[in-house]
Amino acid sequence: MDNEPQFGNRIRHLLNRGVPLDASVSAKLRAARELALSRQKPEAAQGLVWTGDILGRLGGFSGLSLRLIVPVVTLAIGFAAVYAWQQKQRTAEVEELDALVLTGDLPIDAYLDRGFEAWLKKRASF
Amino acid sequence: MAEKARFVLAAAAFALLAAAGSAIAQAPSAQTPKKGPAWAELSAEHQQILAPLKDTWLQIAPDRRRNWVALAKRYPKMDPKAQERMQRRMERWAKLTPEQRKQARENYRRISKVPPDKRGDLKQQWSEYQSLPPQERQGAAPQKKKPAPAK
Repeated sequence: MDNEPQFGNRIRHLLNRGVPLDASVSAKLRAARELALSRQKPEAAQGLVWTGDILGRLGGFSGLSLRLIVPVVTLAIGFAAVYAWQQKQRTAEVEELDALVLTGDLPIDAYLDRGFEAWLKKRASF
Repeated sequence: MAEKARFVLAAAAFALLAAAGSAIAQAPSAQTPKKGPAWAELSAEHQQILAPLKDTWLQIAPDRRRNWVALAKRYPKMDPKAQERMQRRMERWAKLTPEQRKQARENYRRISKVPPDKRGDLKQQWSEYQSLPPQERQGAAPQKKKPAPAK
């Protein structure tokens, strides 16, 4: 047997050639068609079509969570972890330097002096 | 249109989650009291080590107080000479402005980068530097940029 589109085409072709119908039958068909048209729902509001479109593109709500939220959450957690790690590193670094300045050979004043470090470097380069 | 909307949606979701993420990152510090440890909260051992700071403890910023506690934890592992130096310098160090401490740490880092065989004995160098006439010492300081003329 023919497949569906071909079958449909054949019917369309026959109908296009004209089907002899009684006047009462065509009147009934016309009335039915008009009734159907009058009851047809107005098109969905544009905004809804739009959101539906987005959700549809993202694969619906389940697709949205998988394709968008999961990577974004992963990324956010990653950023948070890096930030926390950096803060910890900075605190540890300050602690280490404080201990070194507090216990080192030179008094605190030597490290506060604006010129000593430059003078020392200049000497070291000779 | 839909592409743009999708982008906006993604950006909004991202911003929201990034904010949530940074909140998570700060959670550990939120757990410890923001005000920093009170003097009475310190262990007897730490109170003894940090004794020079007792009177000014409340004026020390919370994060600095935590830093002092961390230093007190290191203290027992230091040799007696280092312990003595720390005891002597503590008060001065605590009284410096955050900028001064930052400057001192930066200078420490720079000085320690000079190879020891070239810089010689630091203590000796420091006393030599101190014996220079003030003009010569000032000459060594990096020139301050001239402030922009006031308008």
